[in-house]
Amino acid sequence: MQTQTVKMVVTGPFSSGKTQFVQSISEIDVVATERTISTEEERVKDQTTVAMDFGRITIDDDLILYLFGTPGQRRFDFMWEILAQGMLGFVVLVDSARPETFREAQSILETFRAYAPTPYVVAANKQDLDDAWAVDDLRVALRLDDEIKMLPCVATSQEDVKNVLLELLYSILEEMELD
Amino acid sequence: MKGNLRDFSPTQLLSLVSLTKKTGSLLVNYKEGDATLSFRDGKLVYSAMGKADGSLASILARAGRISEKQAGSLSQYAAKTSDKQLGLLLIQKGYITQEDIVKSIKRHSLASVNSFANWKEGAFAFDPEKQPDEGRITVPIDLENVIIQISRLQKKDSQLEEEIPSLDIALKFTNRPNVKLSELQLNKDEWRVLNYIKPDNTIRMIANKLNMSDKQVRRVIGSLREAGLVELAHARRRPEKLTEQDKEKKRSNVVRIINRLQSIGAES
Ligand SMILES: Nc1nc2c(ncn2[C@@H]2O[C@H](COP(=O)(O)OP(=O)(O)O)[C@@H](O)[C@H]2O)c(=O)[nH]1
Ligand SMILES: [Mg+2]
Repeated sequence: MQTQTVKMVVTGPFSSGKTQFVQSISEIDVVATERTISTEEERVKDQTTVAMDFGRITIDDDLILYLFGTPGQRRFDFMWEILAQGMLGFVVLVDSARPETFREAQSILETFRAYAPTPYVVAANKQDLDDAWAVDDLRVALRLDDEIKMLPCVATSQEDVKNVLLELLYSILEEMELD
Repeated sequence: MKGNLRDFSPTQLLSLVSLTKKTGSLLVNYKEGDATLSFRDGKLVYSAMGKADGSLASILARAGRISEKQAGSLSQYAAKTSDKQLGLLLIQKGYITQEDIVKSIKRHSLASVNSFANWKEGAFAFDPEKQPDEGRITVPIDLENVIIQISRLQKKDSQLEEEIPSLDIALKFTNRPNVKLSELQLNKDEWRVLNYIKPDNTIRMIANKLNMSDKQVRRVIGSLREAGLVELAHARRRPEKLTEQDKEKKRSNVVRIINRLQSIGAES
């Protein structure tokens, strides 16, 4: 029998922790073509993902789950659309300690939601940082509906990443029960 | 000084003229007609834009102070004499006060600047020799504050575009039982939009119905959201149509992934 593959997408603003998130749970090294970015505004960290992060979890003998992190910059939008095709669901990561990125997170969420009618969850990442916003405050700041799951997360923790993905999967199951 | 608004934006241009206290006229070729903005010592003194030709009669007609018909005969009079003469006559006859005239001209100039500020392209040239006709009534307006306000609005508009990237989405009321609509101070546009909030009405449909531009409707929704009154109605997602067989397969995959993930961490 042929091996099946399914995919989920991890998106969010620049430096929100997408690569880290995928890395924490992937059984292979996250493959991302990195290039150095040198403009002023982008010097938040040394490198940014211009290709996509790509992680794998083998489920069993004939099922593989792929996790894709979106390239962090809006000018690569066309790749998002391709990534969104056929995904089971998506995770939106937000750097809870950088309110200046909340607007961008909102925008990414809206954009992605328009691509595909799949369930999604929002992960309030970097909860370990001192100035991280609390999940409830973030929900208001991002103007998220009560129905949308919002989960605290530290992307370096495999347990947290696992929990976020599980919540997304539960939502996917729930939605399938609905119709 | 020549160029195109594509490369040098209207607000940049206005602020340059204002900061360097230029005298002369900025002539712009725009797709909907030509515009002239005249300056003295960096202050805007006169503007003409397409049909809004900057003559006193047309300014007063646009301000609703006189009828179109009156405007017609008054502009004939002004053509023979001048706007200054016409203004004087209207004041003397008690039709209008001097203050009214100044206010109307100011409003006209600011409206011109506001619409100019949104132009994305058009060839422009600054002619230091050209001044408005001698007979025109000129009202100097300091542009510095105006430019700041316009830039602020433009920044806000681009933020709104990020927050509401798609207009093909419906709106819904938030669950705030303690807000009494009747006690809120909403403006006319906000009320009009509220009236159309229904699960089936996308923002675009509302804008079309109310004859609002994308920018206008985003602003209204922006302030309604700011007030915590409405939310984007996150589409009753239409789940993909799957055959029973595909659905079963998907469900089984999801359950297997859940089981596998649950075992991660526990295994070590
Ligand atoms: N403290 C903390 N740092 C994190 C967390 N997640 C990611 N980071 C760091 O944030 C930076 C950006 O993360 P990265 O995964 O490259 O972001 P991306 O641009 O979204 O792929 C890196 O230095 C990560 O190590 C977290 O949960 N807590
Ligand atoms: Mg990355």
